[in-house]
Amino acid sequence: MSQAGTEIHLTLNGEDVTFEAARSDTLLDVLRDNSYTGAKRGCDTGDCGFCTVVVDGDPVKSCIRPAAQLDGAEVETIENLGTQDSLDPLQSAFVDNAALQCGFCIPGMIMRSKVLLEENPDPTEAEIREALSENLCRCTGYEKIIDAVQDASSRMADGADVAADGGRLPDEQGCPGCDCHDGGAER
Amino acid sequence: MSKTDEPEPEEEAADVSLAEEANPVEWEEAANNQKDPDERRTVSKREEKDDARKIVTGEAKYAADYAPEFPDLAGSKIVRSDIPHGRVTDLDTSAAESMDGVYAVLTPDSPEVPDKRYTSAGQSYPEPSPWDMKVLREKVRFVGDPIAAVAAEDAETASKAARKINVSYEEYDAVFDTEAAMQPDAPQIHDGDDVENVQSGADYERNIEAHSEGEIGDVDAAFEEAEQRDDLTVTETEWETPYQSHCVPEPHTVIAHRDEDNRHHLIASTQVPYHTRRQLAHLFDIPIRDIRVSKPRIGAGFGSKQGMQIEPIALALSEAADRPVMVETTRREQFHAVRNRRPARVSVKSVVSDDGDIEALDMAAVTNSGAYGPHGMTVASAVGKKPLPLYTHTPNIRFQFDAVHTNLPIAGAIRGYGAPQGHLAIEGHMDEVAHELDIDPIELRSRNAISEGDLDVASGILKEKEYGRRIRSCGLRECVAEGRAAIGWDDIEQPDADHLHRACGMALTIQSSGVPGDELGAAHIKMNEDGSFILQTGAVDIGPGADTVMAQIAAEVLGVAPEDVLVQPSDTDISPFDHGAYASSTTYVTGQAVKKAAEDAREMLFEFASRMLDEPESAFKIDEDGAVSERTGESVSLEEIGYESMYGDEVRAHVMGDASHCTEESPPPFGAQFVDVTVNEETGEFEIHDMVYAVDCGVALNPDLVEGQIEGAVHMGYELATGDGITFDEDGQPEVLSFRDYDMPTTGDQPPITSRIVETHEPTGPFGAKSVAEIPVNGVSPALSNAIRRAVGARVTEMPVTAEKIKAALDEK
Ligand code: FES
Ligand code: FES
Repeated sequence: MSQAGTEIHLTLNGEDVTFEAARSDTLLDVLRDNSYTGAKRGCDTGDCGFCTVVVDGDPVKSCIRPAAQLDGAEVETIENLGTQDSLDPLQSAFVDNAALQCGFCIPGMIMRSKVLLEENPDPTEAEIREALSENLCRCTGYEKIIDAVQDASSRMADGADVAADGGRLPDEQGCPGCDCHDGGAER
Repeated sequence: MSKTDEPEPEEEAADVSLAEEANPVEWEEAANNQKDPDERRTVSKREEKDDARKIVTGEAKYAADYAPEFPDLAGSKIVRSDIPHGRVTDLDTSAAESMDGVYAVLTPDSPEVPDKRYTSAGQSYPEPSPWDMKVLREKVRFVGDPIAAVAAEDAETASKAARKINVSYEEYDAVFDTEAAMQPDAPQIHDGDDVENVQSGADYERNIEAHSEGEIGDVDAAFEEAEQRDDLTVTETEWETPYQSHCVPEPHTVIAHRDEDNRHHLIASTQVPYHTRRQLAHLFDIPIRDIRVSKPRIGAGFGSKQGMQIEPIALALSEAADRPVMVETTRREQFHAVRNRRPARVSVKSVVSDDGDIEALDMAAVTNSGAYGPHGMTVASAVGKKPLPLYTHTPNIRFQFDAVHTNLPIAGAIRGYGAPQGHLAIEGHMDEVAHELDIDPIELRSRNAISEGDLDVASGILKEKEYGRRIRSCGLRECVAEGRAAIGWDDIEQPDADHLHRACGMALTIQSSGVPGDELGAAHIKMNEDGSFILQTGAVDIGPGADTVMAQIAAEVLGVAPEDVLVQPSDTDISPFDHGAYASSTTYVTGQAVKKAAEDAREMLFEFASRMLDEPESAFKIDEDGAVSERTGESVSLEEIGYESMYGDEVRAHVMGDASHCTEESPPPFGAQFVDVTVNEETGEFEIHDMVYAVDCGVALNPDLVEGQIEGAVHMGYELATGDGITFDEDGQPEVLSFRDYDMPTTGDQPPITSRIVETHEPTGPFGAKSVAEIPVNGVSPALSNAIRRAVGARVTEMPVTAEKIKAALDEK
């Protein structure tokens, strides 16, 4: 932050905060400089989606959003979702569907999916593919990520995260002969 | 399907028998290594990935996430050559140095910058790569060569300072094509006298970094015979692949600083912490004991991080700036200045009988190393020696390669390591042969392909010594059957429209499990009072879930749940030695070390149990209740042993286990790739309906993670088959510098991927496992090219497959 800083006031994850920001700082710079490191920097040009956060209800690539424009905005980051002991249904769907490998894309992927499911609680596969098409993942081939979002949608429709492990059947109780749910013993 | 009935010349038979004898089919396997599915506690179960929860909450920490821990951390910028070939004649850094907030500006002459030659490749020691580069370079050989570096109060200030550095060059002619580079009048990129640790066959006057050739049988004689005989068909094909980016999600990042003991500590996004430590020590003349390399979570590697690309610059900058420095590459640098998959041109000639028996295979590869040689020789050899074992029965095989320098970006290690280029050639070629002979392509392959019990000699084709690798597990034919059924090979229905044609194509695939006789993995495990364990291994988990699999292996031995085995991330101060995450070795090599270490600890558990229950050690086995006497059924829990071992009255000793593992074995995993495609014969446009990949990786220790490897690798293989890769203008300037310009598939255009696991049992692997991380990247290009050939009769031999190329091939017909 070499340039003269300005102060910006935000609601970040439900709390009022004030950050110092240089004129050239992006939202991602400000978040990461203030130890909100969940959003990742993969390109800094708005092309990978790893830095996706939610601003006033919309998914935003924070690496290309100038911080100075955000005075008064409501920002939500991955840090606002569940904790490791108490994941929110979307997070547990990613865990239970093994929809992650290196994880670098995941915070952005989850924030983008969150907005999708808020706007469209029961998306088709095509709608999920469309909504996530600006969030890259190099590890998964997207297969399990799409499964996870579909699964999250049904978990949320059921109104609750059924079981502590996200409702996944243990292997022994897999569904023999069908592939009605991922992670069953018989796929 | 061994061709044991083939009469062989006597001499050869004698030779082969040496390798036969040295590699018997029988393998002395520990009784506990092979378990029926219902006896397995945790291996082959879909256990949760050990870092999954911290990943979804955003708490997993990657190298750059450590920045807030260093209040005086400097940012940095690397100045890179913007010409493809020349010499820096003047580097005016005065304006940059006088800028506010600039801590250090380094040039090749700075005292902190070593003047030695090295290779960036993180492989064994001495590395099988030429030492042909310096940390900062006065002679530049591609657009992107590092020539200076700046540390400043933040990265933005460093970038501004970097722009103020004035560089003058003397420009040389450059060469961008491998054929042109080998001509006598081509510009010479390296002076051979300046290269140390030169690799075999190097001829720097012709820009050849390495050359080698090998032969089994007599290939020329086979072709001569084919000329005389009507029942032998000669087929010739040629194949080409472009530059491909790893697109690692996390750009290469390093924080270098001195710790409170004044030692050099690097937090690095690396696949090879131990190689990096050794290489830095040699380069900077620092004792190994004064360097620590720790690996936090890694945003994937795929080979890109199998080497030290920016670590030396980070170390030099932190010395010059006298404070912690972070070097974080940009996506732009990732595309042109870090590492890529090397383009290859591969030709294949074969002699095949009317019955479909392959009599001879003659394969030649020219790979483009780009400007420097890391992994150049080893990847180029892999182009042949990885896929050829599929057809090791072929009596006459020849392979030769040239690894050639051009003034383009540096190629390196990348998932598949030469095998995808080789598979395109071999498996594309097989379909052409099948077409020539009017044999079903699957039938041709099952007639000739390798089987269980065989001695693979083809993977040793470049070795001078007699070499054979015994195949003790092979589910290749089962993979074909599984994939064939899953894709619906036998019941493809043609679309109604006359101009649309649908067909499936397929390709066999093979890889290895580690570098035989080279890699070393080690493990240390120690028990806590409550019967949980801490496992330290040098296994470098870069995303696929190696730590989870290591925990499963230890847990299987010790009878605990995998979450009761805490795996510490690789750190050269803490973890036992390991070569690192590459060559599909982690599960197979380090996994075996973990198994042995856990068994070592289990011995101690039994010693304590024996004292506590007054039963002989040999009476005990482990199950969920702890150590159980098989005679009386009495048991003592691990927690009871834990407290007894640390605070007991009789003997106090920490329950621990240690082991190393290094092996001559490298059993290949096998797999079959299928692609289902519809092609528009008027436009050449095509649509992929499904890509099925069935793998035999022995026992899949964690099916979720195995499927993840398949799906991710098939995605990458699909991109190699259909993406433009990285292209350059006629001046060697890269035209692709961002994700926007690069064809990485998104959820919107990635065709569906179906993964299938075919279980076999590999007696030499931990609980029957072989590798899986690389093999699924090999088959998409040939299977897609073959599918299109079968759909409309057009053959695309040069990747990427595009509508234009299909159309052009159709027009030519
Ligand atoms: S870092 Fe923001 S889109 Fe890539
Ligand atoms: S999990 Fe690695 S990029 Fe998505």
